[in-house]
Amino acid sequence: MGNWFTENGPLLGLALLDGIASAALIFMVAVGLNLVFGVLRVLNVAHGSLFAIGAYAAASVGFFAASAGLPAWASLPALLFAAMLVGLVLGPLIERLLLRRIYDEEPVLQLLVTFALFMILEDAQKLVWGVQPVSFSTPVSLMGTVDVPFGTDVIPYNTYQVILLPAVAVVTLVGLAIFLRRTLTGRVILAVTMDREAATAMGIDARKVFLLTFTFGAMLAALGGALSTPTSSLVPGIGASTIVLSFAVVATAGLGQIEGAALTALMIGIGRSIAVTFYPELEVVVPYIIMVAVLLVRPQGLFGVVETRRV
Amino acid sequence: MLELQSVVVDIAGAPVLRDVSLTLPRGGCVALIGRNGAGKTTALRAMMGLLPLRGGRVLIEGKDATAVPAHHRARLGVGYAPEERRLFGVFTVRQNLLLPAEVLGLAKSEIGRRLDAIFTLLPELATLADRRAAGLSGGQGKMVALGRALMVGTRAVLLDEPFQGLAPVLAQRYAAALRELQASFPDVALLVTESNPQLLTSLVDTTYVIERGEITQDGAFAAQG
Repeated sequence: MGNWFTENGPLLGLALLDGIASAALIFMVAVGLNLVFGVLRVLNVAHGSLFAIGAYAAASVGFFAASAGLPAWASLPALLFAAMLVGLVLGPLIERLLLRRIYDEEPVLQLLVTFALFMILEDAQKLVWGVQPVSFSTPVSLMGTVDVPFGTDVIPYNTYQVILLPAVAVVTLVGLAIFLRRTLTGRVILAVTMDREAATAMGIDARKVFLLTFTFGAMLAALGGALSTPTSSLVPGIGASTIVLSFAVVATAGLGQIEGAALTALMIGIGRSIAVTFYPELEVVVPYIIMVAVLLVRPQGLFGVVETRRV
Repeated sequence: MLELQSVVVDIAGAPVLRDVSLTLPRGGCVALIGRNGAGKTTALRAMMGLLPLRGGRVLIEGKDATAVPAHHRARLGVGYAPEERRLFGVFTVRQNLLLPAEVLGLAKSEIGRRLDAIFTLLPELATLADRRAAGLSGGQGKMVALGRALMVGTRAVLLDEPFQGLAPVLAQRYAAALRELQASFPDVALLVTESNPQLLTSLVDTTYVIERGEITQDGAFAAQG
């Protein structure tokens, strides 16, 4: 065993760092998906498209900023700006024009509608950005690398993925927890999540909360996409793989769990990157093995609570 | 204060309320008595605007409120304590009580004044204020739900089966609280649903009986249950 570690130590360290970086991105998407489902009770398959469009838009804004002669550091705020723009435009558009019409429909129909939206956005994205890989890595090269100590080894890793991405995820996690518990708007969102009808009777306009929450969730998905742009080249299909991973995180963590989603994203992110490194043929199934194993033991999810509302 | 006029409600295509008319006068206390499934909860939800009417009207202070969205009921001074209390479990008792007043955007001083009045009426809530609502017992929860409805219910408070599941001692305490409420807020109209008419005789001045979605007895005619 000790022998295995001396041989594979650096590889394992690398896998852990990869896992943490991808967990940060998965978390950003999963937490938005979770929030939107909690409030609207609609499972939004097109959440992955918002990730993809956020990613492509970030590349476009980044290229534009560079061609306009802005300095390299401007590529970082450019990512943020692109994500905000995508969320603020597409979020209200989708909620107002589409979702608003299906809140009272059967879940199966809702799923079909958001799946259709996913297909439409996927094609729209191919129409706008084409099918050739798009790559915009200025922020990664800008931030350089850090030496991460791992046991007796030192692993050089890019600062963007090992520091910036986890930092953004942690800020999102803490910020969201404070927003939901300490502000009135946050408590209103929680109240609608817990009991829409009781919240309405307390004077809360649930429709307004739906619009706000969906837009916010769309911004989080787009931000996840925008942050992923510098780390990989963008190809059609990133939306699909992202939504599937986020579903796995949300189902494993349990609905309505924000801190739980963060821990589960870490589990799944690291599990997957360890598989990629040591058992590449298992890469695709590892998230689902984790999910199935958890759900067999705890059907309500790792951190989910069984609802008890009776007297 | 609040009135249903010939209200017809269907749920999933089946008639649940048929031509229901009911008047809740200012400061009055009305009981709506009926078996499970008779339509009591639906009648209250119709008053709150929580479901669509197929026919009839809802009047608040004499004005047609049928098309007024449900979330405006609180602003019109109508408080509602649904069946099964339906508190917000992750909030403390105080947060549950404050939420409707904060949503209405009431001034801090006014919120404080209302909270004090509720703590005076229901002193047990003051001692529970910092507890999480999810950890309350059934009886405690009912008291909090009453307090929460009172926070905005300056004109009317609708209580759906508040006595259901309460042990006799707690039911008596709850009834005493309602009597005190009538004494200290004489303008607030109370509508209480119940399946057992005996429980409410000392409280109410008008009783309606609902059977299979229809009012079968109303007014002083049935006042003694």
